[in-house]
Amino acid sequence: MREVNELAKRVIEISGQNVYSCYQCGCCSAGCMFTEMMDMLPNQAIALIQRGDRSVLEKETPWICASCFMCTVRCPRGLDVAAIMEALREIRIRERDFVRVDLRRIENIEKLPQIAITAIAQKFTW
Amino acid sequence: MVIGMKVLFYPGCSLKNNYPEFEKSSLEVCRKLGIELLEIPRWTCCGVNFSLATDNVMRHLGAVRSLINAREKGKEMDTKTVVTACSMCYNVLKRVNLTLREDPDKLETINSFIDDQPDYVPELEITHLLSLFEKIGFDKIGEIVVKPLKGLKVASYYGCALLRPNKPRGIPIDDPESPTILEELMESIGAEPIDFPFKTECCGNYHVVFRPDIVEMRAEKIISSARSRGADIIVSACPLCLYNLERGNEILDEGRRAPIVFFTQLMALSFGVNSYLNEEIKEWILKKC
Repeated sequence: MREVNELAKRVIEISGQNVYSCYQCGCCSAGCMFTEMMDMLPNQAIALIQRGDRSVLEKETPWICASCFMCTVRCPRGLDVAAIMEALREIRIRERDFVRVDLRRIENIEKLPQIAITAIAQKFTW
Repeated sequence: MVIGMKVLFYPGCSLKNNYPEFEKSSLEVCRKLGIELLEIPRWTCCGVNFSLATDNVMRHLGAVRSLINAREKGKEMDTKTVVTACSMCYNVLKRVNLTLREDPDKLETINSFIDDQPDYVPELEITHLLSLFEKIGFDKIGEIVVKPLKGLKVASYYGCALLRPNKPRGIPIDDPESPTILEELMESIGAEPIDFPFKTECCGNYHVVFRPDIVEMRAEKIISSARSRGADIIVSACPLCLYNLERGNEILDEGRRAPIVFFTQLMALSFGVNSYLNEEIKEWILKKC
């Protein structure tokens, strides 16, 4: 039995997902349509969580994830990978960032649909 | 055809503010089908994205407040069905309702927090217009078509919110990997559905705000795929998908673009009622049929 590290414990609390059940098949990363913009693949991020390596919190990957749930649908272990990404965002927001983006600096705000602005405010602010 | 069905209607912000053609065409189509859409009084924003942080119920409040009002109105009108046209509203309301049904602790927390409204009892059924149409039957929908859109090649773009996630059960309106509900609907109004491999992929969601490059990358692939499969036009059920795909059209060469419209607009056109399509696109479609 592996010892549950503090980071994994927090991710499990927030996401409700047992990150230790990931066996690194890479299905999440194979189906993810945003990997070319990421600095680490989603399955690699989960591996870091399993090891308790907090450098995962410095990665752009969770912020590139758009919660499309392709990974969640395809995970053979039944993990909600998108919820794990959300937990990583939440930890950053709750510990340090509070407001990850400055909503006052949105360009062309009058042209954007409010659905997009509300969505990013939900995901990127406390 | 008069079905004589009454359902509660949650229009959502995008239909009211950004895409009135989606709401108006939905109302036209439903009136023709004999479905009365009763707008929920004093509804608020659904939250757009269902919060995945299981330890924070605050982000569900907008949705719950609207569901409370829906339930009260439903008691008056004798219906428990809430229908949405926007796929993102569908996803959030559906998930919040399911969460509160399955987690009595969260329901209690939320009910004790909201003290200016009656308690919520999660007995409503949240559904999407497409599911409602499927239930009525696509053959029946075909019967009221007066102008079949013959020869119009339509790519059905589902995006994420109608199909995913698949847990908890009950969220996807069709098979998450190979849905056909939109294609069947398009067939019933006489159009020719075109299958393409990007139909369930993501448009980039809210990244359009700070990372439009991501949305452009996604939209370009989705539109190019639909076009290379022979599509004339793309239909969507999501206001944000439509906006993002239009961003893709802006960067594509003229010959590689595709008009994007809401599925209810093509239905309305085939029913001979106001489709709220812009005149140019409407004429272009009718010339093809």
